[in-house]
Amino acid sequence: MTTLHYRSRRAVLRRAAVVSLMLLSGAPVGAQQVIKIGAVLSLTGAGAGLGIPEKNGALLAEKMINLRGGVKGRPIKIIIEDDGSKADIAKSKAERLIYSEKVTAMIGPSLTASTGAVASITNAAPMVQIACTGLGPQIELTYKKLFHVLPPQVLNAKALLEYATKAAKAKRIGVLHDSGYGNVVMAAMKSVAGDYAVEFVATEKFEVGATDVTTQAAKVKAANPDIVLVIATSPIPFRNAKQIGIKQPILAAVGSSSYEYAKGMGEFADEIAFAEFLVAEEPLPHQKEFVELYRKEYAALPKTYEAAGWDAVHILAKALEKAGPEADAEALATAIRGATQGVLAAYDFTREDMTGIELSSYTYSKLVKGQFIRLPFVNRK
Amino acid sequence: MTISLFIQSIFAGVSNGFVYGLIGLGLAVIFRGTRIINAMQGEFCVVAGMAAVVMLDHWRVPLAVAMLGATLLGGALGLLLELVPVRALQRRGGGDDSYLLLTLGVAFAISALILYFVGRDSLALPGVGGEATLIVADAAIRVHAIWLVIISTVVMFALKWFYSRTHIGLSMMAASIDADGAATTGINVPFMRSATFCLGGLIGGLAGVLVTPLTTVHYAMGLLLTLKGFAAAILGGLNNPFGAVVGGLTLGLLEALAIAFVSSGYKDVIAMSILIVIMILLPNGMLGRRTRKGG
Repeated sequence: MTTLHYRSRRAVLRRAAVVSLMLLSGAPVGAQQVIKIGAVLSLTGAGAGLGIPEKNGALLAEKMINLRGGVKGRPIKIIIEDDGSKADIAKSKAERLIYSEKVTAMIGPSLTASTGAVASITNAAPMVQIACTGLGPQIELTYKKLFHVLPPQVLNAKALLEYATKAAKAKRIGVLHDSGYGNVVMAAMKSVAGDYAVEFVATEKFEVGATDVTTQAAKVKAANPDIVLVIATSPIPFRNAKQIGIKQPILAAVGSSSYEYAKGMGEFADEIAFAEFLVAEEPLPHQKEFVELYRKEYAALPKTYEAAGWDAVHILAKALEKAGPEADAEALATAIRGATQGVLAAYDFTREDMTGIELSSYTYSKLVKGQFIRLPFVNRK
Repeated sequence: MTISLFIQSIFAGVSNGFVYGLIGLGLAVIFRGTRIINAMQGEFCVVAGMAAVVMLDHWRVPLAVAMLGATLLGGALGLLLELVPVRALQRRGGGDDSYLLLTLGVAFAISALILYFVGRDSLALPGVGGEATLIVADAAIRVHAIWLVIISTVVMFALKWFYSRTHIGLSMMAASIDADGAATTGINVPFMRSATFCLGGLIGGLAGVLVTPLTTVHYAMGLLLTLKGFAAAILGGLNNPFGAVVGGLTLGLLEALAIAFVSSGYKDVIAMSILIVIMILLPNGMLGRRTRKGG
């Protein structure tokens, strides 16, 4: 396994010197020298909560890679397009990046539906794509140049059930989930529930964007579960669950793990637990550099999706380094296939799910006064 | 179904119903005074809710002052809407559909501006009574939600009195029903239209500061609030100040009871099916008939 961050100081200095000399001498570090990477992300619309942090992570990665000498002495340039959280727009933006901008490879999109739409284009091009999503529809398994930096939803489901059954010792589970992301994770959870000997005593759904889910929360409360799982991309269900007096432990899926949602939960946030990947307040050794760089750049702490953007660009840069900036898509994809440690997780791109993230990459945290505190529970390899 | 769950559903239905009703009330006020369906009524709430949070968190003013200031800001926004784009469109002879499209466009523009300047964070505001909760048979309702119900009811009766007993209220109605006739009697019709939008904005702003402690506020929720408020106002009858609140309560309770008795997955199907039946049986809204009699 290699690491995405480590480079010898000498190699870094050598490459930085080459790029600096080219810039100073007026040598053409211009159009033909820059390695263009396309990025289709959701910067507006329902997926903006994912796309904006991914953009921040990707731009920081671009900056750091270029400061450290670029890829084989050539700077990289990420050209970002906003898909407005819509799959049809994602497709047309990807076409523009591929055929007009002539990018070398693609990162993103932020949403599963958009990923499928863009993957059909990159597969035909052909072009390497590193999606900031987990594995989507089964057809994606036939796309051999598509990789993912987030886990498939079945793994998110297992991460929740691991904690619920092993850390919280729960057998009766109540679920409050939204009709988008939550619905998909819930379906995955049902498919693996047999492995955990749990009973879903209440499963309540609400619309994405709902402003009140009190009655759904009350139904979950009335079923008297041992633990309540909340799978949503909104602070509302957490507020409502606490407001109506749910006393059982509340565990949230990774989609809710953000400072933005924590802020929205307000004083109701305390003691809510999360299955996630990055606790920036207490980063793991392989996450420290990224957290520090991110804090300096944005005066904020990163979470999962910032790390996904960072990892996507670094994985691509590393493959370009290995295969060469002029390598064709097949050679670039071959260079990506392998095991590598990212900030978000340990990846193995030889796996069928095109990400290879394992449960051991998950970490668990809880909110205390707006801060995420790492919990001792870990999933064994 | 436990007693606790039933009471909790009623609590949720009533508090959501008054939220819908208060937004519908603002819509009804503007429709009553100008015959314009204002698609940016929800944006008044969003702007006021956010303004209250900013005043409280950044300017450190007391909660009551922040709420009052934000409500007045809603009124100012309503006035601005009438004075600039609506009046410009009126001068060019815009039709009913043009006004709807105009206010819809302004709603999207405001939403985009909030996203740009404030960001996509959900902002929370403390409620009246803090986070205190009233517990009845193990069912909980925020004290703030009770204040929402009380204030909405007071506003509803105040509007009824305003339109039937005050000179300016009657003038606003006259300007709406027959602008030329009202002008011949000395009523300043443009002023009345401006006052109507200002009043609609004030009610929208009040809705914003009352709703935000319950739901938080974010840039994208305006249109959703408008749609719920619109459904409430249509259901109750757009011409009656009581109509929007009655419609909102009906909608809120139907949604809550559909979740409690059937399934959250079928909430909208059940609620909307019943609404369709109500609208077929009472095409002018639940209180529409009374309006025609009462004027």
